[in-house]
Amino acid sequence: MTSCSGTVLLSRITAGIPHSAAYDDLPYTRGGAVDRDAVGALVQSAADGDAAAWKALVDGLSPLVWSVVRAHRLSDADAHEVYQTAWFRFAQHLDRIREPHKAGSWLASTARHECLKVIKSTRRLTPTDDPQVLDGISEDRTPEESLIESEEAAAEAERIRRMWQEFEELGDRCRELLRVLMASPPPSYQEVSGALGIAVGSIGPLRQRCLRRLRARLVARGVR
Amino acid sequence: MNDNVGNDSFDEAAQDDALEEALRRAAAILDPVPAELRHLAVEAYALHSLRDLDARLAELTFDSLVDALPVRGADVPRMLTFSTGDLTVDIEVTAEGLTGQVLPPQPARIEILGTAQPTATGTVTADEMGRFLCDLLLTGPFALRLRTDEEVVVTEWLRV
Repeated sequence: MTSCSGTVLLSRITAGIPHSAAYDDLPYTRGGAVDRDAVGALVQSAADGDAAAWKALVDGLSPLVWSVVRAHRLSDADAHEVYQTAWFRFAQHLDRIREPHKAGSWLASTARHECLKVIKSTRRLTPTDDPQVLDGISEDRTPEESLIESEEAAAEAERIRRMWQEFEELGDRCRELLRVLMASPPPSYQEVSGALGIAVGSIGPLRQRCLRRLRARLVARGVR
Repeated sequence: MNDNVGNDSFDEAAQDDALEEALRRAAAILDPVPAELRHLAVEAYALHSLRDLDARLAELTFDSLVDALPVRGADVPRMLTFSTGDLTVDIEVTAEGLTGQVLPPQPARIEILGTAQPTATGTVTADEMGRFLCDLLLTGPFALRLRTDEEVVVTEWLRV
C-alpha cells in the first residue's frame, strides 16, 4: 500500500528533468532541482515504512552529501565514513526530523559537522590534486565509454578534464562553494548554507565571484 | 536579481549558469558518488525498518572533540556522552578499544553496530555498576544498542 505512494513520488522528482544524450545513464545531471515538497513527502513515506521512498531520497540527495564531503577534501576513507555516518544518522532520525522538506539541509549540515570533526581530529588534508579524481576520465565507466568513441568526444573529455583541473586550483572558499553547488540536482541555497556554514544571503554574490574567477582562468588557459 | 541589470549582466549571468552546469556534468563524470556508497545508503534504511519500535534514540550530548578544550597528542581518548531521558551512556574511545558506563548504574547488554553489517557486530555486557569494556577497535561509523532490564536504547551514529 505505502510502496505505491513512493513510486508516484519518485516519478514526481524525476519528471521535468531533461536528459542530454551523453549523460542518459546519470540521473539528475541537468536542469531542475529536487522538488522540496516532494522531499518532505518522501521523508514522510519513508518514515511510514516505504522503502521506495527512501531509495528515492538516496537517489536525489546522495550527490549533495557526496559534494559536501568532497568540498572538505577529506581522504577517501574519511570521505566514505562521513558519507555513511550522515545517511545512517538520517535513517535513525527519519521520524523525528522537524522539517521534512528540509531533509537536504539536514543531511548537508550533518555531513559538514562530521567533516569538521574529521579535520579537527586528523588535521591532515589530502594534497590538492587527487590523482584518482583526475584519472577518473580514463577509467571504464559507462558515460565515458560513449564519450571516448569519437575524436570529438575525446576533445570534449579533455576539455572537461582541464576545466576540472582549473576548478581544483581555485582558492579554498571558491573550490568548496562550487563543489557543493555542482551537486546534482542543483542544491538550494538553504542546503548550500547547511553544507558550508555560510549565510544564505552571501551565497549568490560569492557564487558569481567564484564562477567568474574560474571563467577568467579558463579563458587565460585557452579552455572553453 | 539586481534592478539595474543590463544586457551585459544578463549575458554574464547566463554564462555563470552555463559554467555551473558544465561543472555539474564534469562532477558527475569525474567525481560521482561511488556506487558502493550509494548502495550502503540504501541499505541504511534497514536501521529504520528493523529498529525495535520501542527503541529510544540516545543523542550525542558531549563530544570531547568539540566540547572540550583541545588537548594535543596522538593518544588523546575521545570522550562521548549519549543521552535519552534519564539514561546516559559515557564512552571513551582509545587506540586499545572502548570503555564506558551506563548511568544510572545498571547492567545492560550492549551491541556494537557497524555499517558493514548494521544488524550485528560485537557484544559486551555492562556490570552491575553499568561499566563495560571492549577491546574492539572502532573503525568507521558505529552505534551502540543497549538493552537494559527496562528498555532498548540506540545511540546516534557517529564516526570516531
